[in-house]
Amino acid sequence: MTQNRPHPRSRRTFLRQLALGAGAAALGPALLQACGRGPGGSAESAGGAGGELVISNFPLYIDVDAPGAPGSVARFQKDTGIKVRYVEDVNDVRQFFARIQPQLAAGQPLAQDLIVLTGWMAERLIRLGWMEPLPLAEVPNARNLVPSLRKPSWDPEQRYSLPWQSGIAGIAYNIKATGKELRGIDDLFDPALKGRVSALLEMRDTMGLLMLADGQDITRPTWAAAQPSFDRLEQARKSGQIRRFTGNDYQNDLLAGNLAACIGWSGDVAQLAMEQPDLRFLVPDSGGVLWADVMLMPKGARHPREVARWLNWVYEPVEAARIAAAVQYISPVEGVREVLAKDPATAPLANNTLMFPDAAMQKKLYVFGPLSVQEEARWEERFAQITEG
Amino acid sequence: MNRAGALLLGLWSALAYGLLYAPVVVTVLFSFNAPRGRFNLVWQGFTLENWRHPFQDGALTAAFLTSLGLAVAAALLAVLLGGLMALALSRARVRGGRWIELLLALPLTNPEIVLATALLTLFVGLDLPRGPLTLLLSHSLFCLSYAALTLKARLAGFDPTLELAAQDLGAPPLEAFRRVTLPLLAPGLLAAMLLSFSLSFDDYVVSSFTAGETLTLPLYLAGAFQREISPQIQVLSTLVLLVSALVLVLASPPRRSPR
Amino acid sequence: MWLLGLYVLPLLGLVPLSLSEPLSRFGLDTVFTGRVANYSEVLQAYGPILLRSFSFAAIATAVGLVLAYPLAFAIRFRGGRWQPLLIGLVVLPSLSSFLVRAIAWTSLLGDNGPVLGLVESLGLTDGLNGLGVLRDGRLLNTPTAVIIGLTNTLLPFLVLPLVVAMQRIDPRLLEAAADLHAGPLRRFIRVVWPLSLPGLGAGLLLSLIPAAGDVVNPRFLGGPNDRMIANAIDNLLLVQLQAPRAAALTLVLTALITVAVGLQLRGRGLEELPLP
Repeated sequence: MTQNRPHPRSRRTFLRQLALGAGAAALGPALLQACGRGPGGSAESAGGAGGELVISNFPLYIDVDAPGAPGSVARFQKDTGIKVRYVEDVNDVRQFFARIQPQLAAGQPLAQDLIVLTGWMAERLIRLGWMEPLPLAEVPNARNLVPSLRKPSWDPEQRYSLPWQSGIAGIAYNIKATGKELRGIDDLFDPALKGRVSALLEMRDTMGLLMLADGQDITRPTWAAAQPSFDRLEQARKSGQIRRFTGNDYQNDLLAGNLAACIGWSGDVAQLAMEQPDLRFLVPDSGGVLWADVMLMPKGARHPREVARWLNWVYEPVEAARIAAAVQYISPVEGVREVLAKDPATAPLANNTLMFPDAAMQKKLYVFGPLSVQEEARWEERFAQITEG
Repeated sequence: MNRAGALLLGLWSALAYGLLYAPVVVTVLFSFNAPRGRFNLVWQGFTLENWRHPFQDGALTAAFLTSLGLAVAAALLAVLLGGLMALALSRARVRGGRWIELLLALPLTNPEIVLATALLTLFVGLDLPRGPLTLLLSHSLFCLSYAALTLKARLAGFDPTLELAAQDLGAPPLEAFRRVTLPLLAPGLLAAMLLSFSLSFDDYVVSSFTAGETLTLPLYLAGAFQREISPQIQVLSTLVLLVSALVLVLASPPRRSPR
Repeated sequence: MWLLGLYVLPLLGLVPLSLSEPLSRFGLDTVFTGRVANYSEVLQAYGPILLRSFSFAAIATAVGLVLAYPLAFAIRFRGGRWQPLLIGLVVLPSLSSFLVRAIAWTSLLGDNGPVLGLVESLGLTDGLNGLGVLRDGRLLNTPTAVIIGLTNTLLPFLVLPLVVAMQRIDPRLLEAAADLHAGPLRRFIRVVWPLSLPGLGAGLLLSLIPAAGDVVNPRFLGGPNDRMIANAIDNLLLVQLQAPRAAALTLVLTALITVAVGLQLRGRGLEELPLP
């Protein structure tokens, strides 16, 4: 590795000097002192004050407070007496990485004690050595983790991560707009749907589905095996077949009627279908992509005990069921289905194969395998050339 | 100009206002919509329900208040520093004044992402944890450019001998500044404040790099709107517009015809 | 005054960065190797997008100007006592969040939206399709939608400097011209137009440049074939983590823009900037 090689002009030192010069001139040492955050003195000033557990998650990914029914965060605080600052600031995992990367690379702790990110990003962070092993010894409920998500490829020994929710990437469509049931990925390339199809900016989901349709093994993805799918996608983008590449916002376009069919995520569509009964979600026979968002504890997290309490709490089936009922993704916690089935209000959810895949569905689901560092760079460059034109 | 010409000019102007106000009208309209699900995007029916609970969406309201406080603080700071800069630039013949003006114009004319990355690397270099403080610093910085230039333009049309005259009449310099310069600057100050406020309140790119885990309104909206568009978003936007319109009407009374 | 260092020094820091290579794929650390190839690579890969950005910005500015000049004229010479209010009304829409505006545009321009409905009921769909204004009868996620969004954003920045410049025109000049039997057209060509030119210059600068660097409109209103340069910088930096290349592309853009600003500033100062 390059770590021991002295760099004649490390950019970091250069920048620091530059920054110090600018900072000292701009703000004056007095202001820096007044803020108690002088250079190098940030260790105690960053992040959660006095025993506050700080969690970052995607927006709208938990049950929230409703009149007479406090949400999970409020109930956890009441049950445990631990103060939580729950921040919904993970809009996009890559952007989030770019934001936390400078601090972690410099060995500084984050304000967060726990962050929720997608599996492949977890793999990157774990590999970089920026994550702390989870205090799983203090999390007896971790045994409730469903078998299919144990020891995943991004964390083979299950030391650093516990799934928050998982889900399926497949095809979402409006049957009134397509005029027929869709069968598979090929339908997205049907000229009849030209300009009314979208794909996901999440490379592994879009490419995974296309490669599965091409008969490739996505659990061991290779650059060569991906080429036909890249070409197909590029062709569809150039011809105008694909209208957009999206995050979760394909939902807006599906509802507004701008899209007839798209690559989407199971939980979104399960929720949307309640508002718009013409919506369908298809896991193609060629296969769907199974993913998980996982909880991670960054290096230097200040509240590992509180983290353990939180992990244990959300892995309690009763609590996990409330979260699952709200977000309608696949809960990683065993026993959730039984809890949901008991309550007449939530019983229909227990029979939803998008939330609880049956054996037939399970067989069609594949997890996108790891890419080496160099491979990933090539993939992302090619994918960006397609999505960012 | 003949009447047909005047009519045409009026219609054309109305068209321009129409383009400006099309999204505003839609926003106001949808604040009265009764959406069926999570996305307030398709017109379903009229309701006043959203307006009865403008602050029902807790996370939205929190982000809204953060942005409000930030924008006020950044605008004040920017106008204070910008005012001093404008005074220095227009009074003392600062050496390299042109160059400083060019530098001032840079943030106006460069894509925001340039400033955003520059600031992030700077704050990391300084070990300055990202949060409210770095947000305030970066927002007042890009507001500063606008504030300083607006105020400088206002000062350029202002006769410095007025202040000297006041001093000749026995007013101490500070008093002269307060009684003469400040009132003349007032419209410019107000304009600079409003401009800075709107820039800070609406900033996304710079904030996304310098906010740490603080959530401003645009940051919250950027994430939330992919998963839910609650009608409260439109309600709060309409409220902001209403208050701004009120300030506008109060601050710019119809004046006598310039002719 | 030195607060500006906050902006300028990091910008200068981009210069060595743009000539560096990343030490590791996910590290911030880069090593300076004087790699000029970064520039040729980004120019080759993103040249077309750079061109597209400036042409979208130019079209939007041109459309904006056609709307803004008469509007500024009307505000200045027909606004009468409502002038301050009319100016304020030009700025007011900018106070609503860009995301909220983007949401509104998507419902206006969507496939089932009112704009396409109007076009259809007027029987213009085929004609506009032929002209390339619509794509397969669609408006949202086409270049047209991006340009509509851009025009909406930049219009105030065109109108304000024009009004300011026209406010400096002494009405007595026009009266004098009228006394000399100059007709309305002649008065406009000889008096108003030349005197409004400084405002026009400032307005062009203030609208063309931010429009070329816009992220929001191409992202929300455009399709994948309508991306602009700031989207590419965004992606290089955030997704591909290619900081040196992002820096190189940024500097190319900054250089182009600074040259334009510098040219504009040579003659005059910044007095013509918009001020309500």
